[in-house]
Amino acid sequence: MLQLEDVKLNYGSFRALDGINLSVREGELVVMLGANGAGKSSMFLAISGLRKLSGGKVRLAGTDITRASPNTIVSRGLVQCPEGRKLFASMSVERNLMLGGYVHRADKAGLKTRLEEIYEMFPILREKRDDHAGSLSGGQQQMVAIGRALMGRPKLLLLDEPSLGLAPLVVRQVLDTIKSINAGGTTVLLAEQNAYAALQIADRGYVMESGRVVLEGSREELLNNETVRRAYIGG
Amino acid sequence: MNIFFQQVLNGLTLGSVYSLVALGLTLVYGILHIPNFAHGAFYMVGAYISFYLAGSFGLNFWLAMLCSAAAVAVLAMLSERLIFHPLRNAPALHDMIAAIGLLLFLEAVVQAIWGADFHRLPAPYTQILRFADLTAPAQRILIIVAAFILMIGLQIFLRRTTTGSTIVAMAQNREGAALVGIDPVKVSLLTFAISGALAAVAATLFAPINLIFPAMGHLVILKAFVIIILGGMGSIPGAIVGGMIIGFAEAFGAFYISPAYKDIIAFALLVIILSLRPQGLFPSEVR
Ligand SMILES: Nc1ncnc2c1ncn2[C@@H]1O[C@H](COP(=O)(O)OP(=O)(O)OP(=O)(O)O)[C@@H](O)[C@H]1O
Ligand SMILES: [Mg+2]
Repeated sequence: MLQLEDVKLNYGSFRALDGINLSVREGELVVMLGANGAGKSSMFLAISGLRKLSGGKVRLAGTDITRASPNTIVSRGLVQCPEGRKLFASMSVERNLMLGGYVHRADKAGLKTRLEEIYEMFPILREKRDDHAGSLSGGQQQMVAIGRALMGRPKLLLLDEPSLGLAPLVVRQVLDTIKSINAGGTTVLLAEQNAYAALQIADRGYVMESGRVVLEGSREELLNNETVRRAYIGG
Repeated sequence: MNIFFQQVLNGLTLGSVYSLVALGLTLVYGILHIPNFAHGAFYMVGAYISFYLAGSFGLNFWLAMLCSAAAVAVLAMLSERLIFHPLRNAPALHDMIAAIGLLLFLEAVVQAIWGADFHRLPAPYTQILRFADLTAPAQRILIIVAAFILMIGLQIFLRRTTTGSTIVAMAQNREGAALVGIDPVKVSLLTFAISGALAAVAATLFAPINLIFPAMGHLVILKAFVIIILGGMGSIPGAIVGGMIIGFAEAFGAFYISPAYKDIIAFALLVIILSLRPQGLFPSEVR
């Protein structure tokens, strides 16, 4: 479904991505592990078309999207829930969600149904539908961000550290939700520092260090890997 | 009583015009993140186009205003496409210099066509309205009513329609907007068009009780800056409230202090309010 071939990204003279190769198959839940500054967010933003690559190719369902604009990429079914959420803070929760369905704006009935599904998934958002998104708690804002991405009806959903800054109990909930989104048929690529919790729900994973993929494997392989245990799980 | 009422009316009239100009400026600020100095030139060009259409073609006031709004909207979109869009990755200073360049260019063009003289747009309504012992010139009432209708319309457009909310979304979080699939190119063009049209309408409404000349945009744009600094850069309610504050301060200042100080008052008020509330009246998340 998604292939990265030798993807490179520079910020000035600093090389943030140094030849990334990876692939995500349809229906999978793949986790991207890596410490602060490894380049996970840079990679995600590059995939979504928000950072210009210095080299390499990105393919979505066989189509080259390397130089496609962010809005084209969204309409092709690749939607990202970004790090830091990037919500429209002084719009209502419902407006945020509805804008998530912007590329499907012609299908009013479809959007309404989808909105109902999001409210089923996150009942608290229905209660807070008229509140400013920026006034919600961190966990609730994360639900808005995930809901907004789902409104875009992704075939492939990119989630960049959705558990960042959340209480452990909320982290569990968020990850369970992601698992059930994946079970519902959406392919997921998830960036996490919270390796142990993320691997619990993943099929496969990659480990990234200073702009390179240094390890890849199935959930079991990574959970049992000495390096991963030492660096990310603390065992 | 009537004298006081006249000042209120003056304040509302000036406030309406300033608010419309400041609204356009604040909308474009949300997109460009620089104050668009050329906005004063859009205002000036708007007045000239209406003056020309009404004078040379005998177009009715409203029709002239409509055509002028459309023409300035196109002019604003062209300047976005040809000047600001190519500079989108350049430092903000380049945009600012380009905006000043555009302002001077448009003034030179207008001066080459119509000369440096003062002109006046004939007032479409010259009646004086009377309510009990209060009197009001029809043109002023018209400015106030038209401006309020426009502001309400703009508010509904920005808050209630999908297209309108893409403008707000892009101003609030540019990357967030791109990630839901909003096309920044379309949004910028639309924002410039609205901003230009608002400037042209404000200028046309105000022209029958004001003079038309190539540098007419300067003072207005300076005051509009004061307003959006006061109101919070990018804030829509801030632009409206700020416009009214400056309008009223000017009207009352001119009457109770001295007409000579009228233009200084706006700037004095800026210094006073900012020293008390450096973040402006509406910090920007209240957009
Ligand atoms: N816009 C930018 N300009 C310059 N350098 C940047 C920029 N964005 C990120 N970097 C640098 O690129 C490297 C990778 O950053 P990135 O945010 O992609 O890492 P990350 O893996 O997402 O980290 P985190 O876990 O903290 O989110 C870091 O060293 C960072 O400082
Ligand atoms: Mg990151």
